[in-house]
Amino acid sequence: MEGATFSRSAMIAITVMRVLVGWHFMYEGIAKLTSSSWSAAGYLRQARGPAASFFRWLAAQPNLLAYADQITMWGLTIVGALLILGLFTRLSALAGIGFLVLFYAANPPFVGYFYSLPSEGSYLIVNKQLVELGALLVIMVTGSGKYAGLDRIVHALITRKPAPAVVSPAR
Amino acid sequence: MAGEEDKNKVMPPIAAGGPRKLDRRDVLKGLSTVPALGLFAYAWQQQRQYDQATLQATAAPAAAGDVQELNIALIGAGAQGQVLTDAMLRIPGLRFRAVCDVWTEYNLRRVVNILRRFKHEPNAYEDYREMLDKEKELDAVVIATPDFWHAPHTVECLKAGKHVYCEKEMSNTLEGARSMVAAARETGKLLQIGHQRRSNPRYLHCYEKLLNEAKLLGRIVTINGQWNRAVAADLGAPDRYAIPEERLKQYGFKNMHQFRNWRWYKGLGGGPIVDLGSHQIDIYTWFLGTNPSAVMASGGLLYYDPATHEWYDTVMVVYDYQTPQGPVKAYYQTQTTNGSQGYFENFMGDQGTLLISESELNYAGKIYRDPNAPAWDEWIQKGYISAPKLQEVQSQEKTGAIADVRESVSPDEHTVPVVLRDPYHQPHLQNFFDAVRGKAKLNCPPEVGYESAVSVLKVNEAIDAKSILAFKPEDFHI
Repeated sequence: MEGATFSRSAMIAITVMRVLVGWHFMYEGIAKLTSSSWSAAGYLRQARGPAASFFRWLAAQPNLLAYADQITMWGLTIVGALLILGLFTRLSALAGIGFLVLFYAANPPFVGYFYSLPSEGSYLIVNKQLVELGALLVIMVTGSGKYAGLDRIVHALITRKPAPAVVSPAR
Repeated sequence: MAGEEDKNKVMPPIAAGGPRKLDRRDVLKGLSTVPALGLFAYAWQQQRQYDQATLQATAAPAAAGDVQELNIALIGAGAQGQVLTDAMLRIPGLRFRAVCDVWTEYNLRRVVNILRRFKHEPNAYEDYREMLDKEKELDAVVIATPDFWHAPHTVECLKAGKHVYCEKEMSNTLEGARSMVAAARETGKLLQIGHQRRSNPRYLHCYEKLLNEAKLLGRIVTINGQWNRAVAADLGAPDRYAIPEERLKQYGFKNMHQFRNWRWYKGLGGGPIVDLGSHQIDIYTWFLGTNPSAVMASGGLLYYDPATHEWYDTVMVVYDYQTPQGPVKAYYQTQTTNGSQGYFENFMGDQGTLLISESELNYAGKIYRDPNAPAWDEWIQKGYISAPKLQEVQSQEKTGAIADVRESVSPDEHTVPVVLRDPYHQPHLQNFFDAVRGKAKLNCPPEVGYESAVSVLKVNEAIDAKSILAFKPEDFHI
């Protein structure tokens, strides 16, 4: 990103994207939290691809599965809220990417894999999880929370105190 | 969250490192996306209201003036208890007063939460005797505990003056089943056994209209049926929800694995032939109007680990029936290693075939007329069965097939036009509560459940005996 600059409209567009992705994460989390019986077990059991045996193994461990369910439900909700607010944007975008990598790895739309659960589109290697992952990458590297988000306030508060003049070495 | 590499033109020069105030611009932009969270909360609230409204629409209406409200309790809030609860929540005029489950860490909490969502305020108990002591208002108790608990639970509830709906298998032993019949007779209270197909409108239609009135099958000579179920992993439970060992022992379980997978253990359940087969073998007997005269069976534990599975995962049975019209052979199989072709019962007479299942998705009801049978037009006109499906003519030239001249002509296929739009167990529960209100006769009283238990429990005996076991008519009577 060295030397990259963004126009005001680009930053607004990225912020809109951040709120949309955050909204989606948050509702995915809350919908699972408020469902009386949600568990990742079904999704994990139909796993395909190189990591399939790991995901199936996980589904068969009641203790680990219980943790995985909790982490997924709360993780999605919290990541979503942080993205909407623009708080700890880089960290939450990274966590969101982590979730998406796992979701993608469990059910990758690779050539020759056929899933019995209906999916809402037609995919070849790239699916919507990967697209959302790409969006989070952009959000992460541009730090959009510092343009419009609580990160801006946090950052301003932190840097309000006189800082040692080494933050940005003169070049 | 340092981000000094962001050389963002529009951002304030924060990289300078000097003292800087939080200005108005920072606050405004910093909070600019907070309203999105408010919008989310609003949208979510709308969604919840919508869900709540649909929930209330499917929930049973409060007892109308002419429906007497019944105070009920549930003992056993596991998977089957949940199925029954879901069905009961759709039946008008029921008030859950109590629920009882020894798995207080999980099942009990879950069912109480669900019932509260439907505006019931049940008291929660671990011990059914404490529940019976304290809950004097109860009219009826629904029991969905492991099979080996059915007899003690049912007998004590009946003796406490409650009407009882008890899941099948009535008991894992005939002594247990007999004690239940005796208790029902002594107390004069109602006891319905959960062979829910006996109240299913499609089965009732087939029995009353198609078999007894129209006699569409002619003389039934053979029956076959099955329940094929896919491989399933053992049920587990997170350690933090584990029942303390002492309590497990108190209720007859060696450990948490046995508690969760009791159906596979001798002395607790009866294995797949009892869990699955008993529903369908009950239909054989019901439709034929007589109990079997002999049974031969083969079965074994072919697939699962004998350390955790004591009962047979695969069972094949042949029953003999002596009906007034002549002898009948009835085959049944259950296997738990492949779920293809699911579950159904298939009655074959010299004039037609009835293929029926409780499942609304597969084999829900087809009847086939043998080409030699008299026409069924009258029954189509009465609406008992649908018009035949037009057969696709498979010309031999097209397919290249060369049919044997002796091959039977395919029979006409008709549909049994009865569909159940409610949960499968709802009509049977409704029948029970109607009977409690004095407005119906039980469709599966304990004597009928007992006959079914005699037929089915004998299968495991026949497998071990490796020979044909005969039934005497008095075996079925108490």
